[in-house]
Amino acid sequence: MGFIESAFFDFSRNKGRTFLTSLGILIGVLAVVLLTAFGLGLKASIEQQFEDLGTNLIRVVPGQILKDGNFSNSSSAFTSIEFDEKDIQKLSRIREIENTVPIFSKSIIVTVGNKKEISTLYASTAGIFTALNVNADFGKLFTESDVNKRSSVVVIGPNLAEDLFLSAKQAIGKSVTIEGQKYVVIGVTNKKGGGFGGGPDFDSFIYMPYKTAYTFNTNKTFMAIILQTKTDEEIKPVIGQAEDILLKRYEEEEFSIIQQEELLSAINSIFAMINTVLVAIAAISLIVGGIGIMNIMYVTVTERIKEIGIRRALGARKSDILIQFLVASIILSLIGGLAGLGLSAVIVFFIKPYFPAYIDLNSVLLALGVSSAIGIIFGVFPAKKAADLSPIDAIRYE
Amino acid sequence: MITLKNIWKEYPIDGEELFVALRDVSVTIERGEFSSLIGPSGSGKSTLMHLIGLLDKPTRGDILIEGKNILEYNDDEISSLRNEFVGFVFQQFNLINKLTVLENILLPTTYTRKKLSYNPTQKAMEIMERFGIASKAKSYPNRISGGQQQRVAIARALIMSPSLILADEPTGNLDTKTGKEIMKLLAQLNREDTITVLIVTHEKDIAAQTKRKIEIVDGRII
Repeated sequence: MGFIESAFFDFSRNKGRTFLTSLGILIGVLAVVLLTAFGLGLKASIEQQFEDLGTNLIRVVPGQILKDGNFSNSSSAFTSIEFDEKDIQKLSRIREIENTVPIFSKSIIVTVGNKKEISTLYASTAGIFTALNVNADFGKLFTESDVNKRSSVVVIGPNLAEDLFLSAKQAIGKSVTIEGQKYVVIGVTNKKGGGFGGGPDFDSFIYMPYKTAYTFNTNKTFMAIILQTKTDEEIKPVIGQAEDILLKRYEEEEFSIIQQEELLSAINSIFAMINTVLVAIAAISLIVGGIGIMNIMYVTVTERIKEIGIRRALGARKSDILIQFLVASIILSLIGGLAGLGLSAVIVFFIKPYFPAYIDLNSVLLALGVSSAIGIIFGVFPAKKAADLSPIDAIRYE
Repeated sequence: MITLKNIWKEYPIDGEELFVALRDVSVTIERGEFSSLIGPSGSGKSTLMHLIGLLDKPTRGDILIEGKNILEYNDDEISSLRNEFVGFVFQQFNLINKLTVLENILLPTTYTRKKLSYNPTQKAMEIMERFGIASKAKSYPNRISGGQQQRVAIARALIMSPSLILADEPTGNLDTKTGKEIMKLLAQLNREDTITVLIVTHEKDIAAQTKRKIEIVDGRII
């Protein structure tokens, strides 16, 4: 009977004890693997949202939002300059720019009869639909001529349409009231999902021609301007030219020009940091589990002093005894680790329809590696104690 | 074969006083002897047996095996010597209850570092056949009789073909009839297999069955 079978034999004789001891590791591994799975899912979901947006986007925003690739926390982050039509006109003259999209957004309450919903209004040109990669599932999107005619029309997200009109289809041609003004719903956008992790929930937005929105936007200013180029290669030169244009009116730290990827990597680095902290906290429970293993291994050594004495009398070396107990402790820890991993997989499977989460190969290897390591680290002291017993005292132990 | 020279063994009691278990003991056991170590409890015979069995080290003195002073050996070397040179038979049998009879007999072979010239399982089966316990190979020690358990213990002591069998009160836990059978078996091993056998006992009639009696009283050989 080898060390491994011997260990399993002992565990099967002490099922309750083995279960409780492995439970500590199970919970630790479960916490670490699940948090990692949620972190990975969230990251993938944010990346997907960015991917769903149009390509070759440049954002012009007030203040210094990004600094060295991370979100800035200096006071200049949110200086309150706002862009106006003059900026838009100048920027749209850059040759490589295909689409200049000013954005004015505002939280508003929209009412239909006695139904009220809170939503975010996006006032822009018809180009916003190209930039955000939004289409109309029902009805149509507003056009440049709607913008210029200041038509009282809106395009709304499918979730908002369902909340206000029961179905997206029924919303077309109906009117909604925003701050006392009536607007006709001419289109309902396609479902895009999103809204996780503070990302925009496109499905509940209201889009309005920006000139129509001057009713709310009396200063005729914009919080951001999105520039869309034809190709990737044009992004760099466009940023340079846009900078030159804006520097004529604003100070350097009063505005930022951000590429899509920069924003994505900044968001990702924040999520990575939060996730690391959470996983580190979860890892503490693994240490507690390890202490449980250590405790039970000391008990096991004490229970088996006589057996250790017999084995030593028959010629077992210290190292033979050490390995025997170390193998037992690693197996004990691995049982917990595997069970934790299995349970995580089951939980992820059931939670997936509601929350993006997945377990990658790294999590599996990490869970198994960490539980083996815990078996070794917390098993080595009890195993050393067993190996260092004097054979004569051990064999006489009753 | 094994010589103990001027052996002293002292234990501290309560940290200060020294209890002297063995005083200047010198004894030689020759190859092929069938001898007994006899003495009342507390005489130091168990201490002496532990030294001969390489389970313990003396405070002073030398232990020579085939002329080599084993006190110069490290723990691993002594473990290997214990594995190959000595076979233990205990009063309490000291079998491992979670292992089958066969696994118990084979246990010493799992700790050997040398290449065995025989198939261990085959040899174990032969010994069990000879001892009349072959049918118990797959049984667990706590399911067989005391006499059978002691036969398993002797089989385990024999598996490595040791030079010396050290039997500590081998009949102490057995009834008279079974005890006699075990003594007969040990005598037979000495006679037919020319294995050196040393029996540690406090019973005079057990010692009387051996060819040489080493008597120990108050830590001295008399």
